[in-house]
Amino acid sequence: MRVWRDIALLMVLALGATGAQAQGTISDLPRKETLIVENPEGTIKNAGWFNIWAINAGGQSTGLHQLGMDTFWYIDPQRGVDGVWDNSLASEKPIYNADFTEMTVKLRKGIFWSDGVEFSSADVLFTIQTHMKTNGLRWSAPIQVNVADVAAPDDSTIVFKLKKPNSRFHALFTVRWNAMWMMPKHIFEKAGDPLKFAFDPPVTLGAYTLKSYDPNGKWFIWQKREDWKRTTVARFGEPGPKYVAYVDPGPPDKRVIAQLNHDLDIIHDVSPEGMFTLAKQSKSSHGWFAGFPYAHPDPTLPAVVFNTQNEMFKNRDVRWALALLIDIKAVSMASYRGAATISAIGVPPTGSAPEVYHAPLEAWLKDFEIDTGKSKVKPYDPMIGKQIADMLRPSMGEQIPTDANEIAKSFGRGWWKPNPKAAQELLERAGYAKRGDKWYMPDGKPFVIKLMVEGDGRPVMTRAGSMITQQWRQFGIDASTVVAQGSMADRRAAGDFEAMITWSVETWGGHPDLSFFLDSWHSQFVAAAGKPQPPRNWQRWSNAELDKIIEQVRQTGFDDPKGLELGREYVKLVVREMPTIPLMSYNVFTVMDDTYWTGYPNAATAPYTDPVPNWANTKYMMVRIKAKPQ
Amino acid sequence: MPGYLVYLLTRLGQFALVVFIGINIAFIVTHATPIDPVEQSIAAATQFGSTSPEAIALMRQSLKELYGLEGDLAHQYAAFWSRILVGNFGPSLSAFPTPVSVLIGRALPWTVSLLVVSTVLTWVMGNLLGGLAGYFHRSRALRLAGILAMAFHPIPYYIVAFLLLIVFGHVWPILPISGGSSMNMTQEWSWAFVGSVVSHAILPVASLALVGLGGWFMGMRALVSNVVTEDYVTYAELGGVARRRILAAYVMRNALMPQVTGLAMSLGAIFNGAIITEQVFGYPGIGTLLVSAVHAGDYSLVLGITTVSIVAVSIAVLLIDLLYPLLDPRVRAR
Repeated sequence: MRVWRDIALLMVLALGATGAQAQGTISDLPRKETLIVENPEGTIKNAGWFNIWAINAGGQSTGLHQLGMDTFWYIDPQRGVDGVWDNSLASEKPIYNADFTEMTVKLRKGIFWSDGVEFSSADVLFTIQTHMKTNGLRWSAPIQVNVADVAAPDDSTIVFKLKKPNSRFHALFTVRWNAMWMMPKHIFEKAGDPLKFAFDPPVTLGAYTLKSYDPNGKWFIWQKREDWKRTTVARFGEPGPKYVAYVDPGPPDKRVIAQLNHDLDIIHDVSPEGMFTLAKQSKSSHGWFAGFPYAHPDPTLPAVVFNTQNEMFKNRDVRWALALLIDIKAVSMASYRGAATISAIGVPPTGSAPEVYHAPLEAWLKDFEIDTGKSKVKPYDPMIGKQIADMLRPSMGEQIPTDANEIAKSFGRGWWKPNPKAAQELLERAGYAKRGDKWYMPDGKPFVIKLMVEGDGRPVMTRAGSMITQQWRQFGIDASTVVAQGSMADRRAAGDFEAMITWSVETWGGHPDLSFFLDSWHSQFVAAAGKPQPPRNWQRWSNAELDKIIEQVRQTGFDDPKGLELGREYVKLVVREMPTIPLMSYNVFTVMDDTYWTGYPNAATAPYTDPVPNWANTKYMMVRIKAKPQ
Repeated sequence: MPGYLVYLLTRLGQFALVVFIGINIAFIVTHATPIDPVEQSIAAATQFGSTSPEAIALMRQSLKELYGLEGDLAHQYAAFWSRILVGNFGPSLSAFPTPVSVLIGRALPWTVSLLVVSTVLTWVMGNLLGGLAGYFHRSRALRLAGILAMAFHPIPYYIVAFLLLIVFGHVWPILPISGGSSMNMTQEWSWAFVGSVVSHAILPVASLALVGLGGWFMGMRALVSNVVTEDYVTYAELGGVARRRILAAYVMRNALMPQVTGLAMSLGAIFNGAIITEQVFGYPGIGTLLVSAVHAGDYSLVLGITTVSIVAVSIAVLLIDLLYPLLDPRVRAR
């Protein structure tokens, strides 16, 4: 018995010894001064690499691009601290010449690197010239494709001469998640090959500097610069947290546990179930919306993307028929457990889009008619968002809004009403035929659709795909999902799929300009079957009418109201043609714990930025987040 | 001794052949994967940004040149072996230009220390308790230990691990649930750092021990139950040899040989166990590195880790083969 007693005693001593440390994951930093944030990149295998200009050599959202980097402009995915557009290192908006072959940038004065050297046009010049003469840096290719020459006439002016007209060249230096960051000339000019320089410790332009990091890549701690007033974000006040720790907290269940223990202030994303658990069990945990659906709708539009080079999907009647077989309410429940923000049109329902695209086009959508050859149907049902809210109200109670505008913001507006009869007529007009319970293609072969989904890496979208194939199967189409797992990016680029759940539409969010994704949809970039397709026209869709719209956008200024009209023309065209079936925005369940910090962004009272903390735009969060009096 | 030399040379030859075949299979498998590191890099670099299609085409070409992926498979195979023979795995493709050996060197100590400690601890505890339970088969405490060991043994590892996480991470949050050490702590030989590493290792080690203990326990108990019926044990008891000496020198020693083989195999195969344990507990190490390399299509890194694993398992088997005749006179006689 003595042995057992000794073992028990040892265990108690061991637990006692570790107990004090276990409650906090930070060893010696004051918790009240430290904001702990999830880095969704996970464990960084090459932790000591901070040269963000080398492709994927180290981490990006370790705080490096949020807190350490800076560039000319930022566009906020929401409303912004002081408007959607922020001149960051630039003192004003880009200045183009008449034919968009030259862009001039005026730089802000009085900005300093963290080692005390003043930022100037020499840094910009060095950054651009380094990318022009070095292949393989993150932004080498776009610089080499666009820039003929760059000059710095004085300390605060940069002039780019472009190889061809480009009215959106500034997008390269405008943050939407990230952008081309400026290099410190005085460091890199002594570093030798910029592809092989680790940049450890990083010299920063942001309001923070690296304090310490885990060589095994689990955590990175940043400390507020003493001279934070000499950084661009100082225009909006002092950043709240003295320390910001970016950590890899592990799988979703552990993120939930960590936040319940108040050891993780911002969860980047969890499953809908994880979000519901936190909402129920932790009074201090909040999402973007105060109640259901909690999640932040990212300016990204998951959709059923057809490979339109596949014979099966060349006919728009077939694509439309498949859209009319989808019950979006069931897809919303299966994927996000109802916490989805649906969109019938090819623009994510977030940021400025609901006001400039969804609402103004509502009347057009209601009148939109499809002629199946045998009947005419108006497929748009404006009440579907409300119906989803009504479905959820019995289980979620008062969390579900009742106001029509709030419902539209949270759950979206309308979508296509399931209409199997119209779908049948469209398929029959396309030469498809139903024999017995099964559909057959015009060549007599069974109509078989393999819908590619990502699998465990993106379970919400995988569940959406499973529900859609189930609905198609119920109609007699032999549809099933194919799980691509890690090969998703390769197969998508190679066109090695029939249809898939992914997104080919991403927007600025706060700014209505659609060129962010739309330019890449021009038919000049559509690869031949079997050849790799550049992002983002994964559907490999060519359309002369769309080309014309894109060419007009290219000749229109970024803020020109004509761009909006062209954007709406694009929306109408893709509704008619249905090259992809838009489903919903990509909702991110970012959960913020206000035990130690307040001032996080939220949809109702503080939509000043996107809360999703791996976006470089979250540098603006730091000036609004303040320590909570304990 | 000449007989042992022949035995030694034969085993060394087998070792070299196994390693060669294993590494070749790893090369074929990694290069047959549909995941292209260049496409993965492009996808990661451009997934949130706006990069023109012309720029993407240029980027693709530059990365192929940079990663040295332009030659055909035969050329890559020759380059791979020329590097391997001098102990160089080349640069990681997903952490370019950092050498694979640096990444493995950084992760390996965590995996080895965690899994060696847990494997040896489990082996010692399991065999000790199993041996005692087989010899003192009427002891109530040892019977209870047997029931507990058998109860945990069939439970899937991840369920035990998750239960521990819930209990000691949430219900009674006294232990860290993620990482290898506390944040903002320099990795050095200090009490604070070692204490932090130990506290972070308690849950992973406990989960491995709880699941692994039963196997060793039951195996040893069965072996000892057989050995105690042997004539020489009965003779020793009748001869008045102390029970403690009978247990240690007559029973346990004879029953231990198969368990020693099992221990060597387990130590060699720690890389298999690393993946789930490190994922569940967010522990830094070779398993985490391997998963990340597979997702990124980084076949240089996957090959590096696989090669280290193949060599480690083969060395473990070789050592047992070489030591067995020295430990067991019956094998030496054959």
